[in-house]
Amino acid sequence: MRFLPHTDSDRTAMLETMGLSHIDALFADIPDEFHLQRGQLDMAEALSEAGIVRKFTKASEKNRNATNTRYFLGGGTYNHFVPAVVDYVVSRGEFLTAYTPYQPEISQGTLQALFEFQTMISRLTGMDVSNASMYEAGTATAEAALMARRVSRKKRVVIAGSVNPRYRSVTTNYLSRLDGECVEVDMGCFGTDLDRVIDAIDGQTACVIVQYPDFYGSVYDLAPLREACDANRCLMVVAFSDVSAFALIESPGAMGADIAVGSGQSLGIPMAFGGPHLGLFTCKQKYLRQMPGRVCGLTKDADGKRGFVLTLSTREQHIRREKATSNICTNQGLMCTAAATYMTLMGDAGLATVARHSAVALQSLVSQLPAHVTAIDGAHYNETILSFDDHVARQRFLGAAQANDIFAGIPLEQLDSSAENRHLLVTTTEMIEEADINDYLVALEVAK
Amino acid sequence: MSESVLNSNDRTFKYSATNGIQHEEPLLFEHAHEAPESIHLPGVEGDIPDALAVFSRKIPANIPGLSEPETVRHFVRLSQWNHGIETGFYPLGSCTMKYNPRVNETVARLPGLAHIHPDQPEDTVQGALELLYEVQEWLGEISGLPHVTLQPAAGAHGELAGLMMIRACLDARGEAERRTVLVPDSAHGTNPASAALCGMHTVELKSGADGRIDLDVLKANLNDGTAALMMTNPNTAGAFETDIKEICQLVHDAGGLVYGDGANLNALVGLARPGDMGIDCLHINVHKTFATPHGGGGPGAGPVAVNDTLAAFLPVPRIVKESDNYRLDSTSDASIGSILSTIGQSGVYMRANAYISAFGRQSLHKIAEDAVLNANYILHRLKDVYHVPFEGVCKHECLLTDEIQNKHGVKTLDIAKRLIDLGFHPMTVYFPLIVHGAMLIEPTETESRETLDSFCDAMLEIAAQCEAGNTDALHEAPVKPFRRRLDETQAARKPVLVWPQ
Ligand SMILES: Cc1ncc(COP(=O)(O)O)c(C=O)c1O
Repeated sequence: MRFLPHTDSDRTAMLETMGLSHIDALFADIPDEFHLQRGQLDMAEALSEAGIVRKFTKASEKNRNATNTRYFLGGGTYNHFVPAVVDYVVSRGEFLTAYTPYQPEISQGTLQALFEFQTMISRLTGMDVSNASMYEAGTATAEAALMARRVSRKKRVVIAGSVNPRYRSVTTNYLSRLDGECVEVDMGCFGTDLDRVIDAIDGQTACVIVQYPDFYGSVYDLAPLREACDANRCLMVVAFSDVSAFALIESPGAMGADIAVGSGQSLGIPMAFGGPHLGLFTCKQKYLRQMPGRVCGLTKDADGKRGFVLTLSTREQHIRREKATSNICTNQGLMCTAAATYMTLMGDAGLATVARHSAVALQSLVSQLPAHVTAIDGAHYNETILSFDDHVARQRFLGAAQANDIFAGIPLEQLDSSAENRHLLVTTTEMIEEADINDYLVALEVAK
Repeated sequence: MSESVLNSNDRTFKYSATNGIQHEEPLLFEHAHEAPESIHLPGVEGDIPDALAVFSRKIPANIPGLSEPETVRHFVRLSQWNHGIETGFYPLGSCTMKYNPRVNETVARLPGLAHIHPDQPEDTVQGALELLYEVQEWLGEISGLPHVTLQPAAGAHGELAGLMMIRACLDARGEAERRTVLVPDSAHGTNPASAALCGMHTVELKSGADGRIDLDVLKANLNDGTAALMMTNPNTAGAFETDIKEICQLVHDAGGLVYGDGANLNALVGLARPGDMGIDCLHINVHKTFATPHGGGGPGAGPVAVNDTLAAFLPVPRIVKESDNYRLDSTSDASIGSILSTIGQSGVYMRANAYISAFGRQSLHKIAEDAVLNANYILHRLKDVYHVPFEGVCKHECLLTDEIQNKHGVKTLDIAKRLIDLGFHPMTVYFPLIVHGAMLIEPTETESRETLDSFCDAMLEIAAQCEAGNTDALHEAPVKPFRRRLDETQAARKPVLVWPQ
């Protein structure tokens, strides 16, 4: 077996060193009845490396992908451009095959990259501090609610119905086994009705969770919500799904968020059929000690040289056990390095171009829609809802688009089971070009 | 050739640590120059609509932006300060730092797997679903627990998912008063933390004198409030819980369920199955046993395998096969719901699939055999000079302590740091918590005898230095990497987590 360095004579010699004649002696502590007959599991035969490549190539070729299809799909996962350098950096064995940096003297590479990541994420989101990642946006949102409960010492959580339905379901699921109410506020529209959200806040409320831009892509002013939160001494949690927005529009921090969480997948991380992605978690400095997850901090070594370590670990499970701020251990470390590399390559200017192209493409599409398809009004970043006369019309369109190598949107009911089946969540990124929009509009003709 | 060139006593290659070309590298934010023209991006040009312009960001984020050559050099230099499994031995106990096959990286990057959206039509991702389904079934077969969810993102997330299922099952039995999780004091910190997150409380079980679960202690703590026992087998001291059958029986008889922390599955894979032993529910750390790269902290994957008792409670969506068609099934009924906003860490499972494929039915058990052989070999070579707290063979990792070296004023931390100077990543230190000054050594199956011997020689040399009272180098260590011991107290006292503007 090519991953195992020993020859049979090595094995025999090692056993002899220990005074043993057979490997079974090392497994004598396992009761006999539990020993399997070696090689008898119901599994495939071993493959050579060439065989593995063949198998995966064959399977991968059954999948339509972003190299041969135009993606108008979002809803939490985005087809932004991934520069070759990002993949190169995270392929380096020193980053790829290291463990969590528990021995800082020989992990300064990972640690400095994390520090740079934390800095850039704080700046992009306009927040004071960032941790070194959560699994993804849904669990990050749940953790934000839990943190707000600890900070406020209150238990009630209010969550707007315009938060991504999947983030909502993960969050309500996490909260459902703990004391305290979790209230989902129905928006009654494809957008965020802040009045309804504010009405749901009371003195017992630990936090209110909104998404910005919301699940439908709407961009709106959070100032009234900030006021309501102050009046009720509750925390304002802002979730987001495409962090690229904040190179263009005001950041959650500027809008007054106490905690901002969401997905960093847009920062140089492939869609990869759902993961690994990157959960972002940021907050105000004053709440730092209630934050979940690992953080990297600046310090000095014994010679007085600057260096980095994982810090504030007394919040974490390996020290605090059942009283920890979270159970998270393994996180999405490598994805932080990917995001740091991506942001470095982009800089403010590149990030702004990504955001501008993403928004302009949507505007271009929406402004040319035929009369039989409607989009929602108001300010949108790069997502919106297109509504069709009926299910049949929508499906006809989806089929025509797919026949012309376009994934035209996600049927809304696929994300939100309560939705009617005649809507599409449509998303654009800088990967969409003018010609793709033209083809999209042509395909829309069949929806008449 | 001169005598000295051929001198086989030359120590140059004995331990690989050296002070080669290592560059200091400032933070990105200190690379002071105006950002160059950045990457050229595709897309639609034009002005943003007025309605959106109202919300324009007023002050730029101030993300520095370097040219491509500078970016590459910056991160390559950072990478060179890191130690990875590709660089050298990495015997972190409980972490299973084995070689991560390169072909796995290649196949996971095929466009048809890397560049697909989780919500594109199911008939356009049949190949991806097929590979995920296959690994899902294999994990069921390997664990002896046939129903598997791939949704949990890491081990701790799997613990939460598993406990949610156990809780749901007990509720369905009308036993909602069962909310206590018994956790041995040797358990990993995520175990009690996950129980708390699941709205349960934990009772710590004191381990017996042999480091294993003490049956009397277990019995004394089982009662009508018991929801589950959360156990790790082999445990975190590297010992197999020989009474496993009786343990599971006792918990079941008391009306509870048994959760298995599968972080140590590498010791058993292909040789024995937790499901056969009475475990009801097991998470598997794919980033340990199935060789997916740990990435400096993650990503991982923590699939959970369960028996028939818990199958109905698995999270949704589930990957199902109907004749030759694969689909995601979200019908919930008794399900605990969803715990992640996507189907899981698909890219991690692609690598795991490739890894299992390489061993196949014929060779899978060789993983556990060589892993256990290597750990026992190290134990054998070190047991006379380091204190072994629990007698007997170990499984895939061996536990030592600093008791003997302590007499010379040398602690586990010093030994760990000295190993760095000799070219090795230290073992796991101060875990498990049940012994003082723990050193948990897990070599894995992908290390050669040459590497194991060289590591053991280094450990023996350190012990000899202690005995000789020659301990300065141990307290000073490490001196070779470009940073010495770092001041963790200062970092925590006044935390600086971002670079000031
Ligand atoms: C014994 C044990 N249990 C649980 C975990 C948690 O797994 P993860 O880090 O994947 O969340 C670990 C890994 O660190 C472990 O060693």
